Amino acid sequence: MSEAPEIAAAADLADELRPSVRNLILSLADSKRILGILYAEWVLGAPELEANIAASSLSQDEWGHSRVLYAMLKDFGDEPDQLEHEREPDAYQNIEALDGRLTTWPEFVVANAIIDTALTVQLEALAASRFAPFRQRMQKQLEEERFHEAHGSAWLRRMGRAGGQARSAVQDTLGQRYPAVLHWFGPDDFYAAEKDEGICDATGGELRARFVERTAPLLQGAGFDVPKVDLEFSSWDPAARRTNRDGPDPEAVARARGDKNRAFLMD
Amino acid sequence: MAERVYIVLARKNREDPLHHIGSVHASDPELARVYAWKTYDEERWFEMVVAPRDAFHPVNRAEAPFDIRPETPEPTA
Repeated sequence: MSEAPEIAAAADLADELRPSVRNLILSLADSKRILGILYAEWVLGAPELEANIAASSLSQDEWGHSRVLYAMLKDFGDEPDQLEHEREPDAYQNIEALDGRLTTWPEFVVANAIIDTALTVQLEALAASRFAPFRQRMQKQLEEERFHEAHGSAWLRRMGRAGGQARSAVQDTLGQRYPAVLHWFGPDDFYAAEKDEGICDATGGELRARFVERTAPLLQGAGFDVPKVDLEFSSWDPAARRTNRDGPDPEAVARARGDKNRAFLMD
Repeated sequence: MAERVYIVLARKNREDPLHHIGSVHASDPELARVYAWKTYDEERWFEMVVAPRDAFHPVNRAEAPFDIRPETPEPTA
């Protein structure tokens, strides 16, 4: 990472980098907010009691992380309360692999072992950033993410050992969601300017390579095929890090915004 | 893989002894570690360890370790 002096606040970022750093934070915040609500749907109904408790804890961690990330955007001129509670699904910038609900336990396991890990790979690239708010806020999140990855990996291996329907359901889910994860990291030169400035320590292509190095041995070791993906970025939006603008499941967004509960707010 | 009971031991500070704080059911040690950390997260533990309950051998009693509960008085009519 660069030896250049630290960047203390959003106002100190170069003008041409400020929007992309803001969008990077929003992408992580939205991804973690949606992941948290999807994890929360498994607080009951997981295959064993301890897995319910783990899902509850993972969900709370993700919501804590997203709350911290949304709060960081105040420094960029955003209103965190508006971001958290007043946007429609098409304004969300979450990783597209989380657009669909996690309706089965194999889908939960893939989200936990693969999609959550993709977010962690991105967080790790910010842990030694020149942008001080990243450096100050990533460590706790990364410590908590260690256990997310351990939970996801353990369940992935267990599903692989189980074979049969469990194994094929995980493989099918990988086929559906893994391509969107690889695309989320962007073209190979994505974030090249941010890397040069010491905001992050990897380009899109390098982040993707780190992610594959981390997840391919896990998948193969558990008996799964790593999906082959043809990367195609012609309609990929670098601001949202997405190809479609549909956004996540509307019901998940309504729950994440707390629509029903906020109807009772009296002040 | 058969599910086992794992005993959870933890201490809050470096100078404390490890205490038996509970147990979790898990199919393997990897899940047992995560389940223990996520289930007993009410403290900022300095150290937590897990071990299969059947790894403990009784020394002075015949009962399986950790199975002995305080005697409860007979209910009075």
